[in-house]
Amino acid sequence: MRRLVALLGLVWSLANLGVAYFFLTGAFVAKTAAKEGILAQLSLLLGGVLIAGFAILLARECVRLLTSADASETA
Amino acid sequence: MRIVAWLLVAAGLVVTGIGVAAALGQAGSGAQPWGNELSDNFVFSKALPFVLGFGVAVGLVMASTYGAKTRSDGAVRRWSPGTVFGHWVLTLGFVLALPTGMWQYLGGILDVNLPIPLYLFYRVHYIGAGIVLFAVAAFVSYLWMTGDRSLLIRRGEWSRHLLGLAYELPRSVRGPYAKLLRIDLSRPRPPMGKFTFYEKVVELPSWSILLALITVTGLIKAGRYLIPVPGFVLWLASTLHVAAMVAIVIKLLDHLRYTFPRWSLMGAITTTWMKEQAPARRQGASEPSGSSATGIAGGGDT
Repeated sequence: MRRLVALLGLVWSLANLGVAYFFLTGAFVAKTAAKEGILAQLSLLLGGVLIAGFAILLARECVRLLTSADASETA
Repeated sequence: MRIVAWLLVAAGLVVTGIGVAAALGQAGSGAQPWGNELSDNFVFSKALPFVLGFGVAVGLVMASTYGAKTRSDGAVRRWSPGTVFGHWVLTLGFVLALPTGMWQYLGGILDVNLPIPLYLFYRVHYIGAGIVLFAVAAFVSYLWMTGDRSLLIRRGEWSRHLLGLAYELPRSVRGPYAKLLRIDLSRPRPPMGKFTFYEKVVELPSWSILLALITVTGLIKAGRYLIPVPGFVLWLASTLHVAAMVAIVIKLLDHLRYTFPRWSLMGAITTTWMKEQAPARRQGASEPSGSSATGIAGGGDT
């Protein structure tokens, strides 16, 4: 069960990293600046950085969970 | 009391079914000049009072499962079955509403259209939002009926909880956190009790605020075709709805990051039971585990 949860968590992390990528690139596109303005650009930038940061933290925990599940199985 | 609650749920289910069917029938009759998106919006808005009422009735049944229990092997019930049910319903709502809401936002930012029509994204988003609102109504009713406040921090207890939280944070964050809030780390670590300090100081307040924000702003947005909403209010509601969505995405990542290493919490939110004295982080991790003087049996379940 731990392994399944860890794998699902990794998939969720990767999906969120994809979202973060679109946030970050969207923040620097001229169209966003023209349509939404500087505040929206800053929000996208901040949101993207935070999503990416927490997604990496979750991915790290999932990898730890995976390795600990493997270790407990081989022990 | 439990029989009355179940009768209310049965009646609520029938009334909700009739209400939703009537709204769907009106939208699908062909008599209305509505497009797919507007049609779905009307069905969602008209179904909401029924969904909320049904949620309140289900909350009464959830409340009937409340109460402290201890198993013969020493395990205690950390969450009531009602809370566990509400948690997973809320999860289902988020699984449907978050990705679809995110696509509505990102699609506009990136100016990209998928081969799937946009109204289908809205439709799934409305279904997810309906489930979230049902769960919120059920939890409000549950908390009102049980009077449970065990996750709330009582007046005069904040300084103890902020200190306790410091010891649950990773070492790299602890120092700056203590400096920012002027917390004296030379004071001994306070006993934890039934819930971790992180759950009481960070988890409950942040989830409550975000749920309230996304619910209220979502209701304003959804009701704009039924009730006149001033332009500024609608703009503010839309902006805050997106901000709340992004904050929920971040909070969800943090929630999973926090609970996965404390596997006993995962077990408790699935089975309601907890064997360990405290929801400690697994062995070998750099972050120290929490201590518990009173143990989780100190109070009823939540």
